Amino acid sequence: MLYRLKQLVTIRFILTVCLLLSMAYAGYSMYYKINYWGFSLAPKTRANVWTVEADVAFEADGNPIKISLATPKSSDEYKVLDQDIVAPGYDSKIENGRLILTSKGREGVQNVYYRILLFDNEGAKGKVAAPTPPTPEMPLFDEKQMAVAEEIWALAKKHPGDMPQQIIRLFNQVPPEPTVVAFMPLKKTPKATAEIISSLLAYKQIPSRLARGIKLAENKQSFAPDLMLEAYVDGRWKLYDLSNGQIGLPKDFIIIQRGGNSLLDLEGGADSVVKFSVLKSVTTSFNLAGKRAKLANDTAAFEASMYNLPVNQQNALKWLMIFPLAILVIAVIRNYIGLSTMGTFTPMLLAMALVKTGLIPGLICFAIIMTIGLLIRALFTRLNLLLVPRISAVVVCVILIIQFMTIIGYRFGSDIAASATFFPIIIMAWIIERASITWEEEGAFNSCREIVFSMIAALATYAVICNETIRYIMFAFNELNLVILFLIMLLGTYTGYRLTELKRFRPLVK
Amino acid sequence: MFKWLSKYFASPQALRDAGIMGMNSRNFKIISKNNRRCLYPLVDDKVQTKNLAQKFGINTPRLIGKIEFQHEAKLLPELVKDWPAFVIKPAHGSGGKGVLVIASHDDTGFTTPSGRKLTYKEIYQHISNTLSGLYSLGGQYDTAVIEEMVNFSHIFDDYSYQGIPDVRLIVYKGYPVMAMTRLATAASGGRANLHQGAVGVGLDIKTGKTLKAVMRNKPITHHPDTGADLSKIEVPFWREHLLIGAKAYEMTGLGYLGADIVLDADKGPMMLELNARPGLAVQIANGLGLYKVLKKVDKYYPKKLSPEERVDFVLYGRKK
Repeated sequence: MLYRLKQLVTIRFILTVCLLLSMAYAGYSMYYKINYWGFSLAPKTRANVWTVEADVAFEADGNPIKISLATPKSSDEYKVLDQDIVAPGYDSKIENGRLILTSKGREGVQNVYYRILLFDNEGAKGKVAAPTPPTPEMPLFDEKQMAVAEEIWALAKKHPGDMPQQIIRLFNQVPPEPTVVAFMPLKKTPKATAEIISSLLAYKQIPSRLARGIKLAENKQSFAPDLMLEAYVDGRWKLYDLSNGQIGLPKDFIIIQRGGNSLLDLEGGADSVVKFSVLKSVTTSFNLAGKRAKLANDTAAFEASMYNLPVNQQNALKWLMIFPLAILVIAVIRNYIGLSTMGTFTPMLLAMALVKTGLIPGLICFAIIMTIGLLIRALFTRLNLLLVPRISAVVVCVILIIQFMTIIGYRFGSDIAASATFFPIIIMAWIIERASITWEEEGAFNSCREIVFSMIAALATYAVICNETIRYIMFAFNELNLVILFLIMLLGTYTGYRLTELKRFRPLVK
Repeated sequence: MFKWLSKYFASPQALRDAGIMGMNSRNFKIISKNNRRCLYPLVDDKVQTKNLAQKFGINTPRLIGKIEFQHEAKLLPELVKDWPAFVIKPAHGSGGKGVLVIASHDDTGFTTPSGRKLTYKEIYQHISNTLSGLYSLGGQYDTAVIEEMVNFSHIFDDYSYQGIPDVRLIVYKGYPVMAMTRLATAASGGRANLHQGAVGVGLDIKTGKTLKAVMRNKPITHHPDTGADLSKIEVPFWREHLLIGAKAYEMTGLGYLGADIVLDADKGPMMLELNARPGLAVQIANGLGLYKVLKKVDKYYPKKLSPEERVDFVLYGRKK
């Protein structure tokens, strides 16, 4: 007796340890998938992927060509997932964050394309501390200019914000101050304006630099990069919008080039133009997982996982991954609650069908198939057929019922009738056969009770697996199935009373 | 709310205290520990059970013949030509499913004890259904067993609406520990299943007398159809009943089994069938928890006794 008790404890103990281990493993694996593969806990999480294309066009003049193009670097905000250079005949390399393309001399109009795939890493957008830049050199202003600069700064003080903001706002003031207009260069390009502002900031010993970047917007074609001003204020580089003085990176903005370096340097050509275009594509975090795994140097684990399979095989597995949870529900219903159902897994298969048909249409369909099926089966009873041919005939009848319902459903545009095809035919036939035999042997009441109990079990299973988030989680974090396995095994050592037994044996206690 | 709950549901603690055995603990603690899987065929196949019983000197209804293949069904008239009354049952049946009792037959057909006429075609049909597994445990192909009809003793006549009650003994490690008889009622449709409304009568394991009678989980004193006083039941040849149960342990090696025993007017108690997974309704009929009793056997009952010694131990609390 004591030995047996010990044995029982040991089995339970081992299973409990296995359960805890599997939970720890699942927890770690989930953490890993979320952080390195970018899986999320909710289904349908969309991630923005931007395809930014730079089109460099120039007129080659026959000399050896060297193109140097500033490229965006991966940051916390944006990760470069992939890049692609379309420049036939050019040698390409990436050097110090610049794309260098070289070629021997050519003639005529040249077009090279540089394409990058950016992943919008929302939620990870932080501020980066930068080393203190040296105090900027005083700009070479003559006395008159210095006087004007003082005047401008005096005017700027009327505007709100910190000093770079004040000056930017002054420059954008409508109508402009005459003093400002006088200070402006003749050719009023954004770049020239930015340089003036920069020099005015330098006058006040505020380091600043220009930054070029592009605003990621859906399907933006052929545009030049936007210019922004970065100023070193309060121990940090801050980005200022030159059109309104707003601080910070505008939403969906990516810096391509900063500081004094040019966006494009070209040797061996002239009339160069860089045009950008942006294409936004939305993809689920799943589809990105492979690329992110690559970034995390984790391709081997990912390639071995099921998320690297063709989509339709993934879908089949996705469907399969919900089975263990449904089986767990059935095991609980049978061993903890003690509901007697037709066949062990029949309710589970019904629940699976209900997920595909939808609850109400599925139930209506089930009721129709069962009613007609039982009527036909009642006719068979009189024919005294042998068992196998009889059940086979019921199968054929079920198929015919489903066929008629589908046709009628199509004719009358009813989704309800059309969903009949999702019911497992053989299972339906066996339910009809079982119900009919129980009906004959134990009466209509017991027969109906069996069907109702099976349906209750099916609905309980349905309630769990109809939730798309749960289905998604079981697929995305399939290691949870290991936890379920040990949970089910542990359930197999449960020797307590079933819920129905508390009622059944009620008369035995006073 | 709590009051309502406790009216319909017992607390697990109360059930534990009463030593009630639940399905899970029966399967996990008792059956899987005492009944080796390889022994199941001995009791699941009635032909094997019968042959074994003969070896161990246990009375069973005599085997007239068996039908294993569909084409043999036509041999039935030849098999039973010397037996006016016989029973057809599936070799792997359970719970009385597919049992057909024939009281008499002639050239035109068969007659059941209740007077229903069956044609040859219907009998062949029944055999055919049996062979194709309609009544068998797992639905697999089966054998139809033709056996002698028991000449039932009439002592139970008043107690049953239809059919003949049998005595169900629960035997644990060779000791008969609990007994009941199930009486069909009109409500149960002449069937002896308690959940269908048959009367369950718990029998005192020491005397074979009524302990308690229940119908649909409620105590009753008189049979609802015949009006017989249920408290007066006293099964004759009680020692012989217990002996059959005790011998079944040696015969099968099953540590936990159910033995169904009927009383023949001429030959005394006869074993009808054995069950390796007897149900728990016996607890309701007796108003007693089975687990408590089994634990007592584990703890206090001597081991390595002969069947006769075990029966005496049950009857008198000691070796005779």
